[in-house]
Amino acid sequence: MDYEIVVGLEVHAELNTQTKIYCSCKNSFGSEVNSNCCPVCTGMPGSLPVLNEKVVDYAIRMGHALGCKINNVCKQDRKNYFYPDLPKAYQISQYDVPLCEHGHLDIIMDEEGNTKSIGVTRIHIEEDAGKLLHSDRFAGSLVDLNRCGVPLIEIVSEPDIRSSKEAKSYLDGIRAILGYLDISDCKMQEGSIRCDVNVSVRPKGSDTFGTRVEMKNVNSFSAAERAIDYEAARQIAVLEKGGVVLQETRRWDDVHGVNEVLRSKEDAQDYRYFPDPDLLTIVVDEEHVEELRRSIPELPVHRLQRYLKDYGLPYFDSNLLVENVDKAEFFEKTAALGAAPKSVTNWLLGDVTKVLNEKNCLLSDTKLTPEKLAEMIALIDKKEISNNAGKTVLDEIIFSDKTPAQVVEEKGLRQISDSSFLEKVADEVLAANPKAVEDYKKGKTNVVGFLVGQCMRASKGQGNPTTLREIMEKKLAAL
Amino acid sequence: MEIDIKHIAKLARLRIEDDEMEEVQKKMLSVLEMVENLPEITGKSSGLDRENPMELRKDEVKPSMRRDLILANAPETRSGCLLVPKTVEVE
Amino acid sequence: MELYKLSAAELAKMLREGKCTSTQILDSIYERIDAVEDKVEAFVTITKEQAYAKAKEIDEKFARGEKLHPLAGIPIAIKDNICTKDVLTTCSSKMLYNFVPPYDATVMQKLNDCGAILVGKTNMDEFAMGSSTETSYFKKTKNPRGLDRVPGGSSGGSAAAVAAGEAPISLGSDTGGSIRQPASFCGVVGLKPTYGAVSRYGLVAFASSLDQIGPFGRTVEDVAMLFSAICGRDPMDATSSKHEHEDVMAALNGDVKGLRIGIPAEYFGDGIDAEVKESVMAAVKKLEEQGAIVKEISLPSTKYALPAYYIIASAEASSNLARFDGVKYGYRAKEFTDLTDMYERTRSEGFGEEVKRRIMLGTFVLSSGYYDAYYNRAKLLQRQIADEFAKGFEECDIMITPTSPSTAFKFGANSSDPVKMYAADICTINVNIAGLPGISVPCGVGADGMPIGMQMIGPKFSEATLLRTAANYEKICGGFGSVADLD
Repeated sequence: MDYEIVVGLEVHAELNTQTKIYCSCKNSFGSEVNSNCCPVCTGMPGSLPVLNEKVVDYAIRMGHALGCKINNVCKQDRKNYFYPDLPKAYQISQYDVPLCEHGHLDIIMDEEGNTKSIGVTRIHIEEDAGKLLHSDRFAGSLVDLNRCGVPLIEIVSEPDIRSSKEAKSYLDGIRAILGYLDISDCKMQEGSIRCDVNVSVRPKGSDTFGTRVEMKNVNSFSAAERAIDYEAARQIAVLEKGGVVLQETRRWDDVHGVNEVLRSKEDAQDYRYFPDPDLLTIVVDEEHVEELRRSIPELPVHRLQRYLKDYGLPYFDSNLLVENVDKAEFFEKTAALGAAPKSVTNWLLGDVTKVLNEKNCLLSDTKLTPEKLAEMIALIDKKEISNNAGKTVLDEIIFSDKTPAQVVEEKGLRQISDSSFLEKVADEVLAANPKAVEDYKKGKTNVVGFLVGQCMRASKGQGNPTTLREIMEKKLAAL
Repeated sequence: MEIDIKHIAKLARLRIEDDEMEEVQKKMLSVLEMVENLPEITGKSSGLDRENPMELRKDEVKPSMRRDLILANAPETRSGCLLVPKTVEVE
Repeated sequence: MELYKLSAAELAKMLREGKCTSTQILDSIYERIDAVEDKVEAFVTITKEQAYAKAKEIDEKFARGEKLHPLAGIPIAIKDNICTKDVLTTCSSKMLYNFVPPYDATVMQKLNDCGAILVGKTNMDEFAMGSSTETSYFKKTKNPRGLDRVPGGSSGGSAAAVAAGEAPISLGSDTGGSIRQPASFCGVVGLKPTYGAVSRYGLVAFASSLDQIGPFGRTVEDVAMLFSAICGRDPMDATSSKHEHEDVMAALNGDVKGLRIGIPAEYFGDGIDAEVKESVMAAVKKLEEQGAIVKEISLPSTKYALPAYYIIASAEASSNLARFDGVKYGYRAKEFTDLTDMYERTRSEGFGEEVKRRIMLGTFVLSSGYYDAYYNRAKLLQRQIADEFAKGFEECDIMITPTSPSTAFKFGANSSDPVKMYAADICTINVNIAGLPGISVPCGVGADGMPIGMQMIGPKFSEATLLRTAANYEKICGGFGSVADLD
């Protein structure tokens, strides 16, 4: 029988506010254990939470980006359970009235840019828990409370996802938007974005859902793909053998690529949610909600469709460009200055990205501007400098205030296409490399490249390589 | 009415010995009996009070508390952390 | 001179006139404590050393002629559920037998800034759950007006300390009557402020939506002075109000002419001792003679307050007290097999019976399948009760009721039957449910020689009116403020 996979995702993203959600401790990753703590985030007797206004703003912006209805009058609730990483023994979250609900995310389905809409049930704000550290060197577990009170938004999807590939697209989409809005660092390794995965399967064509299994401990987006494929296959195997899928929570083990039962339905937690009496009603001014709506930039999916259509860029390039809002905007501004979109793309995704990766920095950390890049591309297009010289120019302008023209002058990079000069260079090179000439005569035609390279060297890189190749081929043929 | 004392105690992380069950049940029921006399009220308490909005905090960092003070009251610590019996490794 | 017998206002005046020093006041207070504490047992912790160090500082400031707050150099006792930096804060529970907070509650911070001097932390019902201070893990505080009687609760230690002359003023907390009822039992003045008037930051929470810190004193003026020192918006407490309080000290000088006093019939029913009703009505009569207008009113939902209170307070408590798990502070069981076992043993050994009973009740009413029948219904009733009060206050400015159905009872009288014990709170609970201010003042003595208290209730943020009325009644009586004779 053919089966259909049904997936729902719960994404937890840490917000990159300055302070924690309920206290003024610094919200930062990688500090010394238990050093970003105070009575509030460690749940000391008598301490009380006070909500950070930026957390509400960030969540509302995400809500707008996902087309949600914003509940500008809402509340926070306590989710009660015992665990050593939860110092108050309850997590402050939102239960029946989340800040945002009824939204959707469009994911790209093919290279033509066609999309599918995945429903977003709700987005709510809540606090993160601390971290447990384990070691074989001692008998217990260590608790680091630094992460307690780090603000989170939980984004819950509808069960609209039908494959692990769609799940990956959805997660990439969420991550891109979080980055566009600059509300989360989205660093998977640092756990700043995590997800729980709900999987069920059903016979193709069926309109009722199968029994749902929740998977925890899915710590990367690629792990989510693997976890979904594994779990769907497991459920199908159970059904094929005539068994029943049990409603349970399973723990994904990415190292071994398997999952195991964490708790069954009978052990389901009873969180005893109730409104947190320490916090009053959140009432966000409707004007402010609108103001936040106006601050939302054009989103990745829409941008991507525009790049395919308006600039005629390939899907692969477009996708890479829109991943990062700075890169995308840089691209558009450079293209608007007259540079060919494909050239801009090649430079941005090629050499510029290479430099950024080498230096481990962002485009905004450099001194490269759309004006400078457009000028450089124009110089190449006008054949005033070679493509290779362009790379030298880029290295010079990316971290300095120099313009491409200045660099070309200073370094003497202007390309020479004057054929009488280039013929002279070719003759000199041929005279200096008798062995290569001999090889050519014996039929090794690939020495042409070597000889052109020698010509470039002799012309200090300024010779037009295309013209040089033509001249060299002509001379060799005439030998 | 019968209360599942074992279940409630488990949720509350309290140990109630078998010989105490009856007494606990009796005392809880005597309190709940008062509640049984409450009038039937229909409706749902929304928990929202638009007239009394909460003032939010500015996102400005203030110094945290020194770690030794944070941990000073802990029954057991190790390497700057609280020490607890081993837990299952799940976030 | 027996400085311990004087009110805070009198001491403040003497300090300014150079007639005594803060150190001398402490000498008198600690002498008194030494003399009577064995009988009264009001304190869990005495902070003599810190107190003298602080008094020395204050005396130096006075000597330099600095202008200081009226509470500067005045001794104060603080209930042991209010966090005091570097001073043991136990909530009278084994669970926190060794807890030394690394921070001050906002009220403590404010009092420190005023220059008030902490003399000790007072005994209470464990985690403020009780009406007699009998549930304390450490000791049984006696009523200074009759040592075989309970001081009331849960702020029994704070009320007893003031009545016994061990401190001129003190702070308690009131969740269902825990300031007003012990004030009534011990014959002192106790104010439960409007919910949100005083910061709860640093008050170890029992029921967050009902808890409020408030002052005790032997005079209305002292209570007003202490209230004005601790009230106001606190950015650390989201539930604290921005309301601008009027000058309560100035209000004390006003009269009661034309003041409309409502007498809710429901508070004078069968459950209330006849002598209590008579005393309260006699006091009302005296206010009427001063020009107040007295009218009968009705608050028919009063009878729902007790069950609504026990659901809401227990539900919140079950969550608030979950943090006591042997991980971060306080008691941890000595032996356990694993994490869950550690939690269960710690909590079962660390909490007393009453606390466990309420945690169980609260856990039950919030648990899956019961929320609507209990918690939701209680919240709806709370709304109904609050609305009824609001409507009642269209007809009157304040309401007067008994504070407690009876005078202070003997030890053990109610402790075995929770429902009977809870019924002692019948007159005070509504005020917390509706978030209103209430004050208890002495208004007579029962046949047993024990004090009777009268409760005045006002609309939100009407503390000035309540204190003004109380001050007028105090004047009519020729003053309340005597220290109990314990020789």
